[in-house]
Amino acid sequence: MADIYKLIHPVKYFNDYISREVRPDGREFHEQRNIKLNVNSIKSADASAVVKCGNTTVVCGIKLELATPKAEEPDFGFVVTNIELPPLCSSKYRPGPPSDNAQVTSNLVSDIIINSKCIDLKDLCIASDKLAWVLYCDMVCMDNDGSLVDACLIALMASLKTLTLPTVTYDSETEEIAVDTSVRSKLNVHGLPVATSFAMNTQEQRNIILADPSSYEEDMCGGLGANLIICYNKGFICGSQKFGGSNLSTECERKAHKIAKERAQIVEEVINVCLKNYENDTNNQ
Amino acid sequence: MNVSVGDVVLPGDSCQEIATIGEKSKVILGPGLRKEVNGIFITKAGTLRKRAPNTFWVDNYQKRYIPSRGENVIGIVTQKAGDIFRVDVGGSCSASLSYLSFEGATKKNRPKVVIGDVVYAKMLVASKDMEPEIVCVDSHGKKGRLGVLEDGFVFKCSLNLIRKILNPECPLLNSLKNEWPFELAAGMNGRIWIKANTMRETIALGNAILASEYHSNDEIKSMCSNIASILAGHIS
Amino acid sequence: MVSENTDLKDFKLRPMKCECNYLSKSDGSAILSQGHTVSLVSVNGPLDVKMQSQSIEKATLEVLFSSKGGKPTVGDRYKEHVIRQTCETAILGSLYPRTGITVTIQELEDQGGFLACCINCSCLALLNAGLAMRHTFAAVSCAIDESGNIQLDPARDQLDTARANMTFVFDSREKSLVTGFTEGSYSEDAYSEAVERCRAASHLVFAFYKEIVSKYSNVIG
Repeated sequence: MADIYKLIHPVKYFNDYISREVRPDGREFHEQRNIKLNVNSIKSADASAVVKCGNTTVVCGIKLELATPKAEEPDFGFVVTNIELPPLCSSKYRPGPPSDNAQVTSNLVSDIIINSKCIDLKDLCIASDKLAWVLYCDMVCMDNDGSLVDACLIALMASLKTLTLPTVTYDSETEEIAVDTSVRSKLNVHGLPVATSFAMNTQEQRNIILADPSSYEEDMCGGLGANLIICYNKGFICGSQKFGGSNLSTECERKAHKIAKERAQIVEEVINVCLKNYENDTNNQ
Repeated sequence: MNVSVGDVVLPGDSCQEIATIGEKSKVILGPGLRKEVNGIFITKAGTLRKRAPNTFWVDNYQKRYIPSRGENVIGIVTQKAGDIFRVDVGGSCSASLSYLSFEGATKKNRPKVVIGDVVYAKMLVASKDMEPEIVCVDSHGKKGRLGVLEDGFVFKCSLNLIRKILNPECPLLNSLKNEWPFELAAGMNGRIWIKANTMRETIALGNAILASEYHSNDEIKSMCSNIASILAGHIS
Repeated sequence: MVSENTDLKDFKLRPMKCECNYLSKSDGSAILSQGHTVSLVSVNGPLDVKMQSQSIEKATLEVLFSSKGGKPTVGDRYKEHVIRQTCETAILGSLYPRTGITVTIQELEDQGGFLACCINCSCLALLNAGLAMRHTFAAVSCAIDESGNIQLDPARDQLDTARANMTFVFDSREKSLVTGFTEGSYSEDAYSEAVERCRAASHLVFAFYKEIVSKYSNVIG
């Protein structure tokens, strides 16, 4: 019965839930989904992580390469982020070149990494104007059930935290490169940016924000992806993007900031616990 | 922002005046106005106008035609598909014209219409959810002024210009018709068909119409006599 | 249809100049300069669109952005996304089902506050095209410098030294936030203050729209 109702009156079906102060999947408005995280699951990558936020699953792998820095920025290395949304993750995507949505999400994630300054690109430089690290961070979405940016960022940050760089010695006279993979140093990661997505809906002049929306909720709130993404790093906002959806009132905005701040702490804890477990495991072996 | 009749309005402005009248009597909302739960809102940028007793609309600038019932339009036949012709009227989708909707047309006696013909027709069905349908006869089966336009020259202009030259107060056509003979059909879809005796006159007519868009009535009058004297060879 | 606003004295934003109906063949167009930043927008629609992208409920909005260099980048896609979402909330798409509306933006000069300029220019072009809209929208950008001062509508040199720059879009009805777009990191208080400052400044943009529309309404009417 409910399925038929959902088909015939899709908007009313959704609004009936919201007016009863509950979401279609039984969560409360501010409640987020469970996060499951696993690091270093891909052995062929230099660092990797798999994250599951509810149904949304993202795999992140980081590959290291050496390259010559850009002439205009001789002391900087590179972080290249790329997000793949294959047809596997949702019926919305077709095979072929990256869809607009994938490009937009990639840009959002790389903006957050740049704006939060969590990676100092100078750390990646080995020899000025000669040699620097390139971090190819590839994220593949296995199942897209909303709040994609959040999941991508968790996977990326967890991978970056476990990443170790081999020691490289560069002889400036002979231009010889020697890589010692046995001696590895950890990459410096400053802080831990955490993004929180929201979907926004207006009902009877009342603004409602749904934290960590599922893809169904995102669709019903009329956005390609989430309507509002707030990113916190060490108590500072390092990105607040809002697109479409219903308009945001000041009061809702304050509420969203509060939820995002709390979530930042929770996610930070999840990542730290996971890393600690991983370290314990590797030490025991 | 609250606005009243005669003001320059922008989308999102609300009009308390209309809502108040609407409580007591019937109000007709024309283009650019929209009723929402909490009042009457403007949806287009332009001047808010009123005609007695209670008709309101926004006079806005527009080039793209949105079909609307009862308007006379000029279309170009683009395709012949069985019993109907597809006619391009400048809207988002082409209009259909049945071969029976011509004066005196029967199944045996088909009208002579070929692809590329220009037709002057009336919008019979126009709704946002349906394909528009046009006819070349009135409700009595008479063609009146409608039908295929032979020869002549068609050009496009903004929808405002059509409304302007068709306004009885506009001196343009009255002044021009005294100067030299011509035929003219103005479609509400922003197309004008003209036919004069010579090429010089046709071009002069077309230019006069296009130039009148940003002129006041007095300027139009002097422009018309100016063009006439150039055509007559008094000034070169 | 040319308007100038060079009264710098009580103008908190950079002077804006606009010409509507700049292109003769598109349904609506506008060229807008804010200070030295210039963008050109053309709007076409409602048009026929191909079957697969048609929506039976509302018009399909397509935004194309071409930068000065001409080479499409991921950043351009992102700008398109921001502008499309902004326009989509404003346009009453349900009045034009199964049709398409195309908004094409050409970068002419970027000297700071470019996204805001593009959004304002798109709004003017949409007004010029005569498409039914729920409300108009105005974008205002601001920058926060190292000492925490907020600078409205920054120019290129001010942007380079700023620790964060933000662009906000407000609607004309309740002046609520339609789109927000930020770069850099900042505190919550700085954010709220920046939103309020920009919200106040959005009045100037709406007043500018009204001035432009009244100028050409008087000529046509």
